[in-house]
Amino acid sequence: MNAAELKAETQDNIRDIVIDEVLPHAPETIWKALTSAQLIARWLMQPTGFEASEGNTFTFQTTPGGAWDGVIHCRVLEVVANRRLVYAWKGGDERNTGYGAPLDTVVTWSLTPVEAGTRIRLVHAGFVMPRNESAYNVMSGGWKKVVRQLDEISGEK
Amino acid sequence: MMEVTPNPVTAVMRALADPTRRAVFERVFDSREISVAELTRGSGVTQGAISQHLKSLKQAGLVAERAEGRNVYYRVAPRGLEPLITWMDHYGVFWRERFQNLRDLLKEIDP
Repeated sequence: MNAAELKAETQDNIRDIVIDEVLPHAPETIWKALTSAQLIARWLMQPTGFEASEGNTFTFQTTPGGAWDGVIHCRVLEVVANRRLVYAWKGGDERNTGYGAPLDTVVTWSLTPVEAGTRIRLVHAGFVMPRNESAYNVMSGGWKKVVRQLDEISGEK
Repeated sequence: MMEVTPNPVTAVMRALADPTRRAVFERVFDSREISVAELTRGSGVTQGAISQHLKSLKQAGLVAERAEGRNVYYRVAPRGLEPLITWMDHYGVFWRERFQNLRDLLKEIDP
């Protein structure tokens, strides 16, 4: 396999979650919600050690699973005030498959002023298939497909 | 190496992580009841391998068996996928939920 083929194969197996919306608020207001630890805690999860400065490392604590303690390790990669915030989002444990499988992803927030307010775009990139399939499906909402099937068999509840 | 005791979600996902085993589960899923012999037919693997997969699926709580004379029939365990559903309910549409939280918060701080 040459480098180009390897790259193509790798790209095939990496997926992103994208959410793109216009919110009726100024970029500065949304930026505050994205970069104040106190506010992050109110809409995302309680961060530990968050600071909006490049190189800063912080964590989130989520539900443990299998060999994973549930800690999400993040590192701020890029900060452009009121425009762009990028952080690495890593977690999981090598011994886990499905939930808690190793996750090595990047979250990018982009803010663009528009007439109606701000276009906000979230890209959560780097889910490797099938290793992170469950995380990807769950985090992106693809789980609905699964649940539809599940409804059929849990109908006996 | 110490084997970590998997929680039910991990057990379910691990059981379904193997493509052959997942195919076996899907065939059980699509039938009311199915025997090992039927599952083996056209699967491209041996009956022994199918039995092993069924054993793993049974241990993960995903299938149930019923013996009738010399035959054993398998069906989907109705609550087998429940740990997965519970987990998904908890995390489901993670970012969409978070986005809704963000919208609400912004409304509050910037009415």
